[in-house]
Amino acid sequence: MFNLIQLFLRLSGFFVFLLLEIVCFTLVVKYNQTQKDIYVNSVNVGTGLLHKASANFRYYFSLDDENYRLARENARLLEKMYNPGVDTLEYIDTAYDESDVPQYVFQVAKVLKNTVNNHHNYIVLDKGSDDGIAPHSGIITNNGVVGIVRKVSKRFSVAMSLLHRQTRISAKIKGTNYPGSITWDKMENNAQILSLSDIPKHAKLEVGDTVVTSGFSTIFPEGIIIGTIESSSVVPGKHALDITVRSKLDMTNIQYVYIVKNLFRKEQEELLQAVMEEDR
Amino acid sequence: MNSTILANIYRFFGLALLQGLVFQSVGTGMESFRYLYVIIFPIFIILLPMRAPVPLVLLLGFAIGIFVDILYDTLGLHASAAVFTAFSRSFVFKLLEPRGGYNVNLSPTAANLGPVWFLKYSAALMFLHLFFYFSVEAFTFVYIVDILLKSLVSFIVSMLFLLIFQLIFNPKE
Repeated sequence: MFNLIQLFLRLSGFFVFLLLEIVCFTLVVKYNQTQKDIYVNSVNVGTGLLHKASANFRYYFSLDDENYRLARENARLLEKMYNPGVDTLEYIDTAYDESDVPQYVFQVAKVLKNTVNNHHNYIVLDKGSDDGIAPHSGIITNNGVVGIVRKVSKRFSVAMSLLHRQTRISAKIKGTNYPGSITWDKMENNAQILSLSDIPKHAKLEVGDTVVTSGFSTIFPEGIIIGTIESSSVVPGKHALDITVRSKLDMTNIQYVYIVKNLFRKEQEELLQAVMEEDR
Repeated sequence: MNSTILANIYRFFGLALLQGLVFQSVGTGMESFRYLYVIIFPIFIILLPMRAPVPLVLLLGFAIGIFVDILYDTLGLHASAAVFTAFSRSFVFKLLEPRGGYNVNLSPTAANLGPVWFLKYSAALMFLHLFFYFSVEAFTFVYIVDILLKSLVSFIVSMLFLLIFQLIFNPKE
């Protein structure tokens, strides 16, 4: 204690100095316009920088939420795009007319697991039957088709990725209506190279044409991008062209996807079933 | 003892009034002497007795600074520089300490400690004072060249007046 007092006495000059300087600077800033302006300005710059730093910090923590929010927003926009004439926002917000029900609803899902190196690749998503996901729903991102849901549990769903030997997606060349189908050939050893088969030989096409979903199946709406034609060749003895398609989507790097729910699927499939049974 | 106090009281009022009433007008309104200011009141702080405790020196520095500020209408500006000068005084003492140490009963004057010592001592304090003063006046180091120029020019002129003061009065206390 005595040492402390001694120390304080030794430093008393310094403390008095500090105190008086504080008094002086307070007076300077208070009573001198130039210095006051500079002071206020610097304080603003200082606190501005501080606010910016803290905002950046908070921004980093909100990135995940923000991503999700943007994905939701995109899903809404996709709904608007693929349900022409139906105000989907109104459908969600208020009571709706039966005739205004949209056909396609898009549900955001996060990719939990995604393999790309096997012959049969699967994607695990964080939405399940609780969120209204049913098997045979299409999965897309804004860059194209990702896969098809195979099985759902309460909270998760497993989908065959586009990089699955048995995945066949009904596709066509944009602007034409020849039905073809997209498959993935593991032999190519490239996650972005797909092949488009069943396009008849007489179809006119050029390298660079866009390949989109046909809408002939009940899985995907029409016009979702798959990729662009990289090459096409005529194989002797076959009735169809051999077309290689380069996918726009990098399957190895997907985080958020949209699950396409076709609300009219049951009706459509039942009708088809009935006709086929009649003809049998 | 009494005469020391009296001498310092005279210097306090004399230098503050001289500063505020006479030297304030030097340099102002003269385009060609933009960097010229004459600051002489730190002589009071420079000549305070050596045995005066640091807090007292600081308080007296603050007092004369505020006095000059009232005359200059720049409240706090001269006071902050004066307090800074008063605080640096003890460090300059340590820096310039002669081999035999100081006789603490004396005042740090040319008569007591020799003209060369006094010149070094007063020059150091004067420059510190002026640099601090012009820094506070600009209130930003953006104009550091301006600050240094002002300090240098005013330092030369102020030292001139300090030497004149020394020659006229040659104070012992």
